[in-house]
Amino acid sequence: MRSTASARDARSQTSNPSVMVKELLDIADYISNLRDAIALLRANELTRDRLPMVHEELSEVVAATAGATDSIMGAAETILGLPDGPGYRAAVEARIYDIFEACAFQDITGQRIGKVAEAMSQLEGRLARFSSAVKARDASGIDELEVDRRTRNESLLLNGPQKGGPATAQDAIDALFA
Amino acid sequence: MALDLSMPILVVDDYQTMVRIIRNLLKQLGFEDVDDASDGTAALARLKGRKYGLVISDWNMEPMTGYELLRHVRADEGLRTTPFIMVTAESKTENVIAAKKAGVNNYIVKPFNAATLKSKIEAVCGA
Repeated sequence: MRSTASARDARSQTSNPSVMVKELLDIADYISNLRDAIALLRANELTRDRLPMVHEELSEVVAATAGATDSIMGAAETILGLPDGPGYRAAVEARIYDIFEACAFQDITGQRIGKVAEAMSQLEGRLARFSSAVKARDASGIDELEVDRRTRNESLLLNGPQKGGPATAQDAIDALFA
Repeated sequence: MALDLSMPILVVDDYQTMVRIIRNLLKQLGFEDVDDASDGTAALARLKGRKYGLVISDWNMEPMTGYELLRHVRADEGLRTTPFIMVTAESKTENVIAAKKAGVNNYIVKPFNAATLKSKIEAVCGA
């Protein structure tokens, strides 16, 4: 009986022109706000410029770090292999200057990482504004790839490096093997 | 018992820089016969083809981790006595305990220095 009454009320309201107009105006407002929020997201700019730039900069960081490590290790290996003799000090100094030069990568990679951090900050701000504007809710359900990844990491104890240094000091580990 | 500097050593790590660091440290210690592999699967293939006096392995590698490699080695009749040192950034106590239960001989947390590596090799291979 109650549902019949509710249906009758709803029909009565929707048959009322002023209620219908108000609802249509609300929907139009919502769509207008949604379009503004989507426009502010500037998704095309993100996918065309910002995110490719992030990939490129991070690839450059990886390459620069690998290159610098290779140069530093090469210089160290050369020093280890130098024969004793009158030219020893000069040869060591030359290799040390190579190491200094290679360490300049830190300045450049720092600037690249700064650009990546700025892009990520932009992305975070835009997504937060969009999410708030459309009152977004995350879909429920299971991401199977993510579940597989977590299951593997848990079963194989792949915790990765801990923040702020090792979780267990070498001395404590040594005690376990004593 | 003195260290046998002629024994072949297998270094397992997916980062060539780390392989190079360990190779250099081993060279400084006097070891010249050093092979390397980039993950557990490749390491297992090498172990089947040659008898190594020591395995020094990272933990976090794809597709086969160092932990899986350790369990394979300990489960293999022909390999189970091979000394095995884990060298890893996995520093949680649960990792150390799991590796010990699986039969690892020693455990080094990255970053490490030459003295630590030397002392663990001596402890495992006898000095």
